Amino acid sequence: MQLEKFYYDNKIVKYFSIATVVWGLVGMLVGLIAATQLFWPELNGGVPFLTFGRIRPVHTNAVIFAFVGNMIFAGVYYSLPRLLKTSIFSNLLSWIHFWGWQLIIVAAAITLPLGFTTAKEYAELEWPIDIAITIIWVVFGINMIGTILQRRERHMYVAIWFYIASFITVAVLHVVNSFELPISFMKSYSWYAGVQDALVQWWYGHNAVAFFLTTPFLGLMYYFLPKAANRPVYSYKLSIIHFWSLIFIYIWAGPHHLLYTALPDWAQSLGTVFSIMLIAPSWGGMLNGLLTLRGAWDKVRETPMLKFMVVAVTAYGMSTFEGPMLSLKNFNAFGHYTDYIIGHVHIGGLGWNGFLTFGILYWMIPKMWRTNLYSQKLANFHFWIGTLGIIFYALPMYASFFVQSLMWNQFNEFGILEYQNFLQTVTQVVPMYMLRAFGGLLYLTGAGVMTYNLIKTAAQGSFLAKEEAEAPALEKKKITGGYWHSVLERKPIVFTVLSLVAILIGGIIEMVPTFLIKSNVPTISSVQPYTPLELHGRDIYIREGCFYCHSQMIRPFRAETERYGEYSKAGEFVYDHPFLWGSKRTGPDLHRIGGKYTDDWHYFHMYNPNQFVEGSIMPEYPWLLENTIDKSLTPKMISAMQTLGVPYEEGYAEKANGELDAQAAKIVANLAEKDIETSGDMEIVALIAYLQRLGTDIKVKDDVAENQ
Amino acid sequence: MKKTNTYINQKWLAALLMIFAMPFAVSAQEAEPSALNNPEVLLTVVLGLVLIVAILVLIVALYMVRVIKLIMSEEKKAKATSKAKTEGLTVEEVLAKDKKESWWKSVNQKLTDAVPVEKEETVMLDHNYDGIKELDNHLPPWWTGLFYFTIAWGVIYLLVYHVFGLLPLSEEEYQIQMAKAEAQKEEMMQLAENSIDEYTVEFTDNVASLESGKNIYLNNCAVCHGREGQGGIGPNMTDKYWIHGGSIQDVFKTIKYGVPQKGMISWQKSLTPPQMRDVSSFILTLQGTNPANQKAPEGELYEPEEGPDSTEGTETGEQEPVEETVEAESDTVELALN
Repeated sequence: MQLEKFYYDNKIVKYFSIATVVWGLVGMLVGLIAATQLFWPELNGGVPFLTFGRIRPVHTNAVIFAFVGNMIFAGVYYSLPRLLKTSIFSNLLSWIHFWGWQLIIVAAAITLPLGFTTAKEYAELEWPIDIAITIIWVVFGINMIGTILQRRERHMYVAIWFYIASFITVAVLHVVNSFELPISFMKSYSWYAGVQDALVQWWYGHNAVAFFLTTPFLGLMYYFLPKAANRPVYSYKLSIIHFWSLIFIYIWAGPHHLLYTALPDWAQSLGTVFSIMLIAPSWGGMLNGLLTLRGAWDKVRETPMLKFMVVAVTAYGMSTFEGPMLSLKNFNAFGHYTDYIIGHVHIGGLGWNGFLTFGILYWMIPKMWRTNLYSQKLANFHFWIGTLGIIFYALPMYASFFVQSLMWNQFNEFGILEYQNFLQTVTQVVPMYMLRAFGGLLYLTGAGVMTYNLIKTAAQGSFLAKEEAEAPALEKKKITGGYWHSVLERKPIVFTVLSLVAILIGGIIEMVPTFLIKSNVPTISSVQPYTPLELHGRDIYIREGCFYCHSQMIRPFRAETERYGEYSKAGEFVYDHPFLWGSKRTGPDLHRIGGKYTDDWHYFHMYNPNQFVEGSIMPEYPWLLENTIDKSLTPKMISAMQTLGVPYEEGYAEKANGELDAQAAKIVANLAEKDIETSGDMEIVALIAYLQRLGTDIKVKDDVAENQ
Repeated sequence: MKKTNTYINQKWLAALLMIFAMPFAVSAQEAEPSALNNPEVLLTVVLGLVLIVAILVLIVALYMVRVIKLIMSEEKKAKATSKAKTEGLTVEEVLAKDKKESWWKSVNQKLTDAVPVEKEETVMLDHNYDGIKELDNHLPPWWTGLFYFTIAWGVIYLLVYHVFGLLPLSEEEYQIQMAKAEAQKEEMMQLAENSIDEYTVEFTDNVASLESGKNIYLNNCAVCHGREGQGGIGPNMTDKYWIHGGSIQDVFKTIKYGVPQKGMISWQKSLTPPQMRDVSSFILTLQGTNPANQKAPEGELYEPEEGPDSTEGTETGEQEPVEETVEAESDTVELALN
């Protein structure tokens, strides 16, 4: 048979690898800064762009989409052609993909600190960047599917199944979750509101973890682990079963982020049971990885890259156990909103994604530069300091969860909360925050050592940009029969369509009824749309990232209703575009903050939280007292809301600014009474209006009832 | 070389143990006396400690097992070498002969149902992807079992909550929780001491009460009235001027019901009657302490007919000693706040 010559393009892999390392260091550094600000808020230097609420999304986006993302692409561009014995479909597309993705990252790194955010976790980027992501993702998809179609290997290996499922699902997730209505360049409102928005967001959020951080990396594991260990993959059967069950079940699990919230109970229960069912499929991947190393454990002891992979796969097993545990109602009641989640995601992030990335880089870089790793010793050092970093990160987080949730739920014998002041529970865990930052520092140090080691490795080797290879062309003949799955493995388009069907089912079953059946979000007649001033305040709340530390969702527990007030109802959020329920309580819940404090309290508290709440770790927001809101946007905001279905009367957009001034004047007068001089177009006034409105709609009714 | 490594690692473990036990020690120390006396808090603190220690012991134990194994394998090798010399075999052959199926190995075998590495050619597929081969081992039975179990669990869960309604959903669960708490609360309120109201309340100079009052004040009131009562968002507590009256009854009433239109919230749902008495009494002890940065007087002058300490002497003369003991006694409380 005629052998055809072709080549593997290492240059694109090199570029993606460099991007992985660079963005990895940046993302981790930002994470370290954010972690340090939690016990030393002044670290932001009073600069708005560096406050926790603005750099936290920089950290999450950088490590997820820049660090892990570039690793995925490097790994796919390396393994895909080799597994299929072909060149990449189009070099032009490869480079558009590379530079496009880096530009998106740069855009994110600039816009997030500036406060341009959609307020949806891990999907914060505003609409122009969302469009760019879609385009680049499609470019990647074309390049990948094109490469598969021109393959010289009849069947697709399991790694490629995971690549396909990742591509198709991330595309669906991104497009559905990013439905938003732009009102200006870099500002938009989510298409969905309240409960529905929350459901879509956490369907996305959970599956971004699944199909961006998990399935592509499982694909990478299936290529690089057997390669590095030089062992056959343990079980083909297990690959098939865990692949299909994983992608089918994963998509259902999103609502476990919303247990005990205003989401309908049936959706919450689906989230719980599918999360529990997810344990085995997740562990299937871990087992196949670990058991592949049978007979090669002596090698593991000696090769740092295998050590990294073993810890990575083990961390994967651990975090996929922690997740389902948190999906159990009784555990979630204590674990949600605490640092348990932070610990859990970092076992996944630092352990699974980070360590697998390091392992792959240590293996791949010497290969492409045709040399040996510069220093095994440094790699070993990296391994130990990284492992220690993970331990120092995760254990304090679990301790913090344990202490804080016990304190939140502690009643004294009179049936009154023992720790009334939320701050009492914060000061208790501040030492844990310090230890966590130390863990992060260790981990970052390790990554720095790796960078040095890799640079030295590259320097001592010579880079092979085009690796020649040869293989016979696929014969054009009809093959029939064979194991059912092996049939699918030679039909990439059918395979892609089937995975698409598998991942659509769960989402459709959960979302369609929540959107269409009215009883799922019972309306409350006293709930009114936000006033124009409150809308401006809400935008400031979003811009400053307040929702990263303050939830707006009081769950139906005695400990929460005693602390914060009546629990949150689905009907209260029908005008919330986007929803701002939050996912973490570094500070107290704010859903019933309205009317709790005076206007001047909020004014001073924003200026310097420590003045009234000594020991508070909330940053200062003095610029809110000096900046003015852009009133010219008001009509656009109102008409956008009208388009989204918020029932402002017709023509309200034009007179909105009049009402805004009137409401602002009242607050200014309130403040003047306390000798505070300000004007109605200050940001602080809008923010106060919003905060004083929060959660009061159903109170109005109560007050009326009480007065009668 | 190996030995020193072990030593270093053990030192690390010891250091880790200290660090992670620390927060529990801190929380035990900082919790107010009442909380420590509360068996539930004590229990959770102790349980937490035990759990952490247990995990650490487990880690250490696992580590020790590894070390022992290492030493034993060294010994075995040495024995095998001498045996190999006498029997004329290679070291590997002797080792293989001596190797018995360990308990762990046989359990592991049962759990994974794997084809042994030596015989894996029998399950090798003809796949070859860039040099990667694939075996076709059975699914590990424990894994399949786990999968079936979770699916069954899921079905039962949905049936229990949504078809048969055997267990309460979140709202009903909340109602049950609240009803239980309400009953418990009522029981407590029946006790004579807890029935204090704005008519029966009396000033207390009991040191423990004042200390508890101070603690409540710092955690709840200082936010608006200043840590020394100097005032801020709320009025000054140290001067003789009161907006809503300066008698113990008046202060108690203001705290209990609040003055919502002026931003003072009602505390009757968050503080018990004795707690409200304690904090009212503590506030009255602030009279005349003259802290820095005082807010200007508001309201009307109030001259107590009978001093808060209910003795005749001059106001400050009698008061200061009480104040001092409170300060001294509550140092730990202060610490907790900072």
